[in-house]
Amino acid sequence: MSGTALFPAACSGVIPRRTSKGKASSVSVQSLQAFTSDPYVLELAETLEESLPSTTPLPLPLHNLRHASSQSLLSTRWPSRRDEPFRFTDLSFIRQSRIVPVPHPSPASLTTASPFPRSLRRPPLRPLLPLSPQRLSHLLSQSHPRHDLFWSLNGIAAPDVTLIHVPPNCHVDTPIHLHYTPPHATTTTTSSSASNTMHLSNPRVLVVVEKGAHVEIIEEFSKANDDDENESSYWSNAAFEAVIGEGASLTHSYIQTQSFRAAHIKWTSVRQEASSSYKLTEVSSGGKLGRHNLHIQQLGPDTVTELSTLQLSVADQTQDLHSSLVLDHPRGYSRQLHKCIVTHSQGQAVFDGNIKVNRYAQQTDAGQLTRSLLLEPRATVNVKPNLQIVADDVKCSHGAAISDLEQSQLLYFQARGIDIETARRVLIFAFGGEVIDKFPYSSIREKVRSQIKNLLDPSSDSSSF
Amino acid sequence: MALSLPTHCSPTVAPLRRSPKPTLRRVNRRVCVASGGSPLLQVNDLRAKIVESNVEILHGVNLTVNQGEVHAIMGKNGSGKSTFAKVLVGHPDYEVTGGSVVFKGEDLLEMEPEERSLAGLFMSFQSPVEIPGVSNDEFLVMAYNARRKKLGLPELGPLECFSYLMEKLELVNMKPDFLNRNVNEGFSGGERKRNEILQLAVLGADLAILDEIDSGLDVDALRDVANAVHRILTPEKSLLMITHYRRILDLLNPTHVHVMDKGKIARTGDLSIVEAIEADGYETVSALT
Ligand SMILES: Nc1ncnc2c1ncn2[C@@H]1O[C@H](COP(=O)(O)OP(=O)(O)OP(=O)(O)O)[C@@H](O)[C@H]1O
Ligand SMILES: [Mg+2]
Repeated sequence: MSGTALFPAACSGVIPRRTSKGKASSVSVQSLQAFTSDPYVLELAETLEESLPSTTPLPLPLHNLRHASSQSLLSTRWPSRRDEPFRFTDLSFIRQSRIVPVPHPSPASLTTASPFPRSLRRPPLRPLLPLSPQRLSHLLSQSHPRHDLFWSLNGIAAPDVTLIHVPPNCHVDTPIHLHYTPPHATTTTTSSSASNTMHLSNPRVLVVVEKGAHVEIIEEFSKANDDDENESSYWSNAAFEAVIGEGASLTHSYIQTQSFRAAHIKWTSVRQEASSSYKLTEVSSGGKLGRHNLHIQQLGPDTVTELSTLQLSVADQTQDLHSSLVLDHPRGYSRQLHKCIVTHSQGQAVFDGNIKVNRYAQQTDAGQLTRSLLLEPRATVNVKPNLQIVADDVKCSHGAAISDLEQSQLLYFQARGIDIETARRVLIFAFGGEVIDKFPYSSIREKVRSQIKNLLDPSSDSSSF
Repeated sequence: MALSLPTHCSPTVAPLRRSPKPTLRRVNRRVCVASGGSPLLQVNDLRAKIVESNVEILHGVNLTVNQGEVHAIMGKNGSGKSTFAKVLVGHPDYEVTGGSVVFKGEDLLEMEPEERSLAGLFMSFQSPVEIPGVSNDEFLVMAYNARRKKLGLPELGPLECFSYLMEKLELVNMKPDFLNRNVNEGFSGGERKRNEILQLAVLGADLAILDEIDSGLDVDALRDVANAVHRILTPEKSLLMITHYRRILDLLNPTHVHVMDKGKIARTGDLSIVEAIEADGYETVSALT
């Protein structure tokens, strides 16, 4: 389904099922090498470009995306621990691997409860306005100073783009489920041939929710079904972009359960027009590295933004959320709840959450709360909640707490005959439950609950404890 | 070690067995005491300090509770009543520095808090803690199953427990929606106390220690709680209540009243002590050893 427009007539034909760099679009990296200081990035970019299948001429939007992305790669270094956004995040295991791009984005299965959302099953009475290539191109190639190397790498390497276009005032009443599983099955490389090989996939999604429309999207990244030991090593470098029109809303659920040897780097970049609403619920527990870059830009007044995330580190792994919310217009409402649980002595969680309330964002109501649960003496967490307020008439609150489980709560369980291990498990789970409960569907809540239960229960996965 | 689950008293039968008026209990107790209940709890020269600050709070407590007896501990604020109760259930804030506690013939101090509970010791907390994210029914089912497991009975699913829990809710006169709420979260003072008694009803006990169960209860609630306690604790069970007020004493009729002062039991007597306290205050009563 990837690469096709989900909605009839919305833009089929704009992005063909498979696209590639055409001759005209291939950007000569070699000749521009002099301008960059990082040969490794250029080499990687070249490998990625070469891996793309070559077919028909590249459609304009993809051409422009690749062009813009390769331009910015020319001046981007591979991040090091000296760069603030990666101060606590070790990328060296990626760099030490042999990167083998996967020509297709990782196989995404796209499901809705019915083949087409019910509201669209009958042809609309008025013909829908398709997205013009120019508009699409404009939407895809938007860039922001926060966008980094990984955003650009995805931009040159995404073989195509999954477009979800919700026409004006259309309420899609069943969620769209994008499910990604790792690419290892698609290659001929056997696991024994190269232990340091990492297959890299670059799935990209663009969501356009037009004025007054509503859609719910579930993004799920999981390890392969047969990867019980969390053994497979790969790199998923995903990008998700959304534009939410005036009065429109997007409910976004994001679940990440990659293999414990995988690198999972993901961008979510959202633009919100006036009176629009964006609600994100995230639970990330997989990956040796799970990095989520979340950027939300307010384009008009009266927006609602709710972000709830839970990170879980139960192994030698890092969960990293870098979020930024920029409010430039009046009367925005935002709530961010970040929670993390680290249960392993070499586990780590990183949270850098920036909320900027700029000069014209008067009467903003912004709240940010981060709570961390550290359950091992050497487990670490680096949290940097940060609320920058320039406007003067605003209501903002924030709080940060790092703790172990409450003794008095544990005793309460014990005093009623419940053993301490069970009590701990229940309390840890209850801590995470506050975020899990925000998923809008009971099926997802149940699924995530059981995933988290399995990760927290030492008897079900002794290797991670 | 013997372990008992509460007997099912169906609301229609119970009033026949035991009048809601406390007098019958008094009679029962006296019969029990007269027949010489065997020692259930023996506390000997118990000393305990606060772990964090190393300050000793209990300076040698002596107390014996026999099977079927009802005891009350009174005493000034800060005299160590709650500390004593919490030390008995094994609260980690305190460390025992001396003395011994024997419960049903075994060394209580050697047991983990959950083992003490499973052995039949129940304490209702003076200030029960909130547990966000854990619902009351989930908690009760877990605790009930821990008890069943200890008895070698199969654990029950939430649905199988439902009618049992409903019966207990009725016993303490609580609305069923309390089951869906998180444990003590946002509960009023009185609701928390009632919830403690609900747990006692579900789990049962050979010795129930009720730490100021009457504080913050309105008149009706106090009567509900006293009635529930009557019905939960059959005559062979024992009760140790900590209180500042006469009303619950009149409802539950203790045979022994102790006055705690500065980390010790300063005086023991019967209900007549209460009159002395009310007339002359703790200072005078504690001094009369
Ligand atoms: N965990 C603790 N940390 C610090 N001080 C404590 C702690 N536990 C008890 N104390 C102190 O020990 C003394 C006895 O407290 P306790 O709660 O046992 O009193 P009490 O007799 O129950 O009083 P009240 O009638 O007010 O309930 C008090 O001075 C109290 O401040
Ligand atoms: Mg007290």
